[in-house]
Amino acid sequence: MISNIQLIFDKENEGNQQNFVPKMDIDQTELDEILQASLLRKDLPIPNIPEINIVRHFIRLSNKNYGVDTGIYPLGSCTMKYNPKVNETIVKLPGFTRIHPLQEENQGCLGLLYHISKQLGEITGMDGFTLQPAAGAHGELVGLLIIKKYFESKGIKKQKIIVPDSAHGTNPASAKMAGFSIIELISNEFGEIPLDQLEFAMQDGDVAGIMLTNPNTLGVFDRQIKEITRIVHENGGLCYYDGANLNPMLGICRPRDMGFDIVHLNLHKTFSTPHGGGGPGSGPIGVVKELIPFLPIPCLISTENGIVCREIDNKSIGRIKAFWGNFGVIVRAYAYILALGSEGLKKVGQIAVLNANYLRILLQQKYILPYNRICQHEFVLSDQGIPNDITTEDIAKRILDYGIYAPTIYFPLIVPGALMIEPTETESKQSLDYFIEVMNKIYEETKQNPELLKNAPQNMPVKRLDAVLAARKPILHD
Amino acid sequence: MDFIPHNDKTIAEMLDVIGVKSLQELFQDIPKDLIIEKLNLPSGLSEPDLLKQFEKITQKNKVYSSSFLGGGCYNHYIPSLVDFVTSRSEFYTSYTPYQAEASQGYLQAIYEYQTIISRLTQMDVANASMYDGSTALAEAAIMSTIITRKDTIILFKGIHPEYEEVVKTYCWGQNINIVYASEDNLIEKLNGNVAALLFQSPNFFGDIEDISKFAKNIREIAPNCLIIQAMTDPTCLGILNPPGLTDIDIFVAEGQSFGLGLSFGGPGLGIFTAKQKYLRKMPGRLIGKTTEINGEKTGFILTLQAREQHIRREKASSNICTNQALCALATLTYLLALGRTGLKEVATQNIQKAHYVKKELSKIPGYEILNKKPTYNEFLVKCPNIDSLINLCKQRDLQPPLKISSYYPEMKDIALVCVTEMNSKNSIDTFLEIARIVSNNKTEGE
Repeated sequence: MISNIQLIFDKENEGNQQNFVPKMDIDQTELDEILQASLLRKDLPIPNIPEINIVRHFIRLSNKNYGVDTGIYPLGSCTMKYNPKVNETIVKLPGFTRIHPLQEENQGCLGLLYHISKQLGEITGMDGFTLQPAAGAHGELVGLLIIKKYFESKGIKKQKIIVPDSAHGTNPASAKMAGFSIIELISNEFGEIPLDQLEFAMQDGDVAGIMLTNPNTLGVFDRQIKEITRIVHENGGLCYYDGANLNPMLGICRPRDMGFDIVHLNLHKTFSTPHGGGGPGSGPIGVVKELIPFLPIPCLISTENGIVCREIDNKSIGRIKAFWGNFGVIVRAYAYILALGSEGLKKVGQIAVLNANYLRILLQQKYILPYNRICQHEFVLSDQGIPNDITTEDIAKRILDYGIYAPTIYFPLIVPGALMIEPTETESKQSLDYFIEVMNKIYEETKQNPELLKNAPQNMPVKRLDAVLAARKPILHD
Repeated sequence: MDFIPHNDKTIAEMLDVIGVKSLQELFQDIPKDLIIEKLNLPSGLSEPDLLKQFEKITQKNKVYSSSFLGGGCYNHYIPSLVDFVTSRSEFYTSYTPYQAEASQGYLQAIYEYQTIISRLTQMDVANASMYDGSTALAEAAIMSTIITRKDTIILFKGIHPEYEEVVKTYCWGQNINIVYASEDNLIEKLNGNVAALLFQSPNFFGDIEDISKFAKNIREIAPNCLIIQAMTDPTCLGILNPPGLTDIDIFVAEGQSFGLGLSFGGPGLGIFTAKQKYLRKMPGRLIGKTTEINGEKTGFILTLQAREQHIRREKASSNICTNQALCALATLTYLLALGRTGLKEVATQNIQKAHYVKKELSKIPGYEILNKKPTYNEFLVKCPNIDSLINLCKQRDLQPPLKISSYYPEMKDIALVCVTEMNSKNSIDTFLEIARIVSNNKTEGE
């Protein structure tokens, strides 16, 4: 049988072209005069493939991949909005791509980093920012290390962090990487933090703070947010804002005003930089004034001589990434903020919420919506009540058959068989209506023709893949 | 500008369906006093105005025609093919491939990345990539403490100072002790509590370390101790013996040299590889090959996710939840474009050109090459007057070498010179000419 896949390594066509290396123009020395033979490799098992074959290979692969530019991507908590094309033009300017991180004539780059920090400060209400973290999870780690260092500097030992059961999985994992243990809080029937349980947990005395997403992963704004942050503060804790869900808050409401001390942002979610198939991202951290000394190095300040690094504060947690963060990602986010401006950003927040509620109202006519309230940027359906043992996974795979990417599934954990839907502000009503039409059709299929769902997807390059086999006998390269 | 497709009429229709009268009403759960009037930011810009603004910004950076600056970020040629592939928006506008069936293209590409990295390094397994070289090294240090259940790591002299600091920060987070060692005292620092020895080769000063000299001792004195190698410019693997053939347990590298450009140092790519036996303790995403459940076709899927945060939460081996997928795609394309022949030629030109500059510099009075070991494309040179050398380079449109005292204040008048395939004979001659001028001026001054 001819395999359905062809790896690039199967395409070897022994050429010996060297199109990408300049002509050698200096006198060479015998290599064994430069270093001993034992340091040299004997074999370099990388193929020599003609350029046209490489191009066709990747075009074929791209045809087997789905992006925001292909269609609606309602992946909850991931904010898969449109990635403006002008940002790609800007980031490719030689005045960015050819600038070395250690070169001295860099005021364009440093000025950009400084100014976006101020803008993010205005958007979140925070006093200081670091742009060093390379991703949201990296930002979380940095935020938690700041909390750790803050208490260390006061000579107080606190070893626990409160994380609600609705939290992103990164929250507890990041807290552990910063050396904390976790207290899990069970959300109430509205998907909110129960204040009495919070008070009880805080009385432990060993609690350094709380990590919260607001709106949370159910897409619900916690109405008692000010009470929550007050309780944590009164018991000597700090409040950390997971900014994964900041999109609906843009220009509407600010984490600082809610009472948060530390916030991480995902520039690849809220600020339109491409997800790239899972990176590179950028996860800046904003803090209140009292925590600025704890930010990682380097930290930029504005002086008469331009933008420079401030003196290293011995309270700083230290360095968390080489050089200046994911600069190319930050450039795109800066372009986005400049392009949208004050009014544009507010419209993002408003329309993100409009689109989500429009879907919520129309989809709950067929599907069960366990936390049925006005939502912010996303909402969560459940597979409960779906007939014929159809699961969330079946529905997700069937959605793919209709040329739409599936929502986030089985998360948050507090909703059984969760389907977490976030349309973002850049989807048109027509696109939302198509999604609704597909979901309604699938609902009918669950009753009329369940086999269609159980065998889905049918229209993709492959049918459902065997994850158990992949994990039992891992084949990770050819 | 904005990227919102609705007009006012559509917005009104949708509000009507929802059953609210205004957009404001959608935010009814938010306490009134938390609602802000407006952000204090300027109005938005049209695309032409935006581009004008960025032209102004980039003018404040200097683009040099040729460069002798490395130090962890390297000027190599990027084939046009790399930008062509990574600009396919089916790739760059996609998310982590959770829905494997709709992501086969990217999953296969990352599988191919893992394959080409395994072949290049000769390590058993490569993951789908990490943030960058510095964080990959820090994750490797943590991984070694999880594997060995020991709480001390040794940092060998010559690791990039910024990488060292990143490792230090991560280790402080997990209460891991750090011990510093050099060739002279490594053996006495080793003991049964050591989880890993971390070293870099070629190191920050340019030396190619021959770890095989120590490996036997390490295995005897501290049999559990892992040997972890870092590398900042893996183009050298075009000619140098790969880590997989030198008994390295975990090998990490910065992949920026493989088609990512300088870009002010980021995004980079953390190449992360290990011996097979450590596979299940590895951080980061892994792509595996499998087959359909009810069919015969081969496909690719995110695998061994039981190690990861979204399943294991606080019990995960790391909080990492992305790779640098697009950078991994660029690296794969770069390595394929160059091929075996091209990569060998790049490495050869780097070592030959750097060696040439080294040799010629050492002939000029007042210059002293400080490396005692063989070097690849970087070396340390003591200069008669480093500031004068740097200024003259700038005047002649050459990006000057790194003044090493910016990291090590005690190392005065020492430059870390980097020469790659991008340095033409012409630029090299200019650099040498400048070095001679500085030497003459110094002699005359005395």
